[in-house]
Amino acid sequence: MNRFCYTALVAALTTFGFAASAQDAPKSITIATEGAYAPWNFTTADGKLDGLEVDLANDLCARMKVKCTIVAQDWDGLIPSLIAGKFDVIMASMFITDKRLEVMDFTQPYAVDPASFAVAKDSELGKMGMSSEKFSLNDEASAKAAIEKLKPLLKGKIIGVQAATLIQKFVETYFSDVVEIRAYKTTEQHDLDLAAGRVDGLFAQQTALAATLAKPEYANYTIAGPGFVGGLFGRGTGAGLRKEDTKLKDMLNKAIDGAIADGTIKTLSMKWVHTDVTPVK
Amino acid sequence: MIEAVRLLGFGEGGWAAALLSAAVVTLILSVLSFALGVVFGGVAAAWRLGRSRILRFLANGYGTVFRGVPDLLTIYLLYYGGSVALTSAGRSLGWQGFIGLPTFATGMLALGVISGAYQAEVFRGAYLAIDPGQMDASRALALSRWVTLRRVIIPQLLWHALPGIGNVWQLILKDSALISVIGLVELMRQAQIGAGSTREPFVFYIAAALLYLAIASFTGIAFRHAEKQASRGTQET
Repeated sequence: MNRFCYTALVAALTTFGFAASAQDAPKSITIATEGAYAPWNFTTADGKLDGLEVDLANDLCARMKVKCTIVAQDWDGLIPSLIAGKFDVIMASMFITDKRLEVMDFTQPYAVDPASFAVAKDSELGKMGMSSEKFSLNDEASAKAAIEKLKPLLKGKIIGVQAATLIQKFVETYFSDVVEIRAYKTTEQHDLDLAAGRVDGLFAQQTALAATLAKPEYANYTIAGPGFVGGLFGRGTGAGLRKEDTKLKDMLNKAIDGAIADGTIKTLSMKWVHTDVTPVK
Repeated sequence: MIEAVRLLGFGEGGWAAALLSAAVVTLILSVLSFALGVVFGGVAAAWRLGRSRILRFLANGYGTVFRGVPDLLTIYLLYYGGSVALTSAGRSLGWQGFIGLPTFATGMLALGVISGAYQAEVFRGAYLAIDPGQMDASRALALSRWVTLRRVIIPQLLWHALPGIGNVWQLILKDSALISVIGLVELMRQAQIGAGSTREPFVFYIAAALLYLAIASFTGIAFRHAEKQASRGTQET
């Protein structure tokens, strides 16, 4: 909201805040979410919290054998309240960024939304269908190989992207020699142009594409090819916590490992966002 | 349209009860903050107009600080600053957990302090607008200081101050939306929760706008009525 206010406040809170207390394993913790970001975390009309992150929080707490209370907090107050000690963990679709890491810490990502193409089902690429493969741009060799495989299938196509995003940067960097890029202010706008046939395909986050393609007017379109993660797309969504709570961080990381390994994150993710956002190790 | 009616209804999956109770929170919060502001503003105005140099300095500082600092920062500092201070104090006494200030009371205090800073200026201006001859006339009639204040000064002060005070009221009503950052679910936060949870932002923000407008018009009528009352005995009605 107000950048200066915010920086001053966080600085003040960190200075007068808390020295690390004894690192015993906590028996009960409070997890905060925004409660207004469907389907990740939201509130039902009768005031209950629900969504992917609420389900996942309950699952992680069961794994850690810790008693959890989940509360909702306005987005602007999330980080200051965490640092002041009002709650212990933030699970609110918060991306792990360098700026945030200056004042707080994150667990490993529990969700990474892959970016993919969406095209007509009867097009060359569309016949391939959605691949469950994911390529991390951190492993450049295999990501490059996947990109080279996609190129001939996309030759001459017009691809819609959201302007001034990492999505646009990615397509410009790796596909500008084969496709014509059309940049739109919002994803809703490129969705409409896809339905109208003014673009041949889209490149966007899979969760956004899945939500769009669920509508009846997009019945002839599909997400196609592999998903891309990592690199310029960032580090994904993690649980935020105070820097000094290293014991809690270890516990959460272990619980997330478990939820990735036994497919819990995949199940929750298919249920809520209709695509798989399990992080790539 | 049918979807909007369902979302804003009282039935299954309807948000009417949540929105209305949030509107009541907004109204109560604003009224109490405003009343607190009348007290702060009245005292600050009296100090500024008084003879004591120290009190004048304090009242000046109060007005400058709280009208100059962004309202959001005042709210953040009172709540988070207060909670951190309390928690640290608790730790030195051996209590480990977080001690939070109650959100409603802190929000009320923050808005009260802010509105008081503005109201002090309104009261001071209103006092200075009273013709000094009125005080001379009271003395000539041998009225006591108390009677002069109650029967001569305050009625005229209110008459001058009410339009300005009405403005401060509207300001506080809208500022109450800022209290959502410390975790209070008032009208704005409830609208945002509904908008984000149903992905129907227009329905919820328009509903919130109408509720704010309803509160503002209803209280506006009350202020106009009060102004009419206060200007009895003057020619300019």
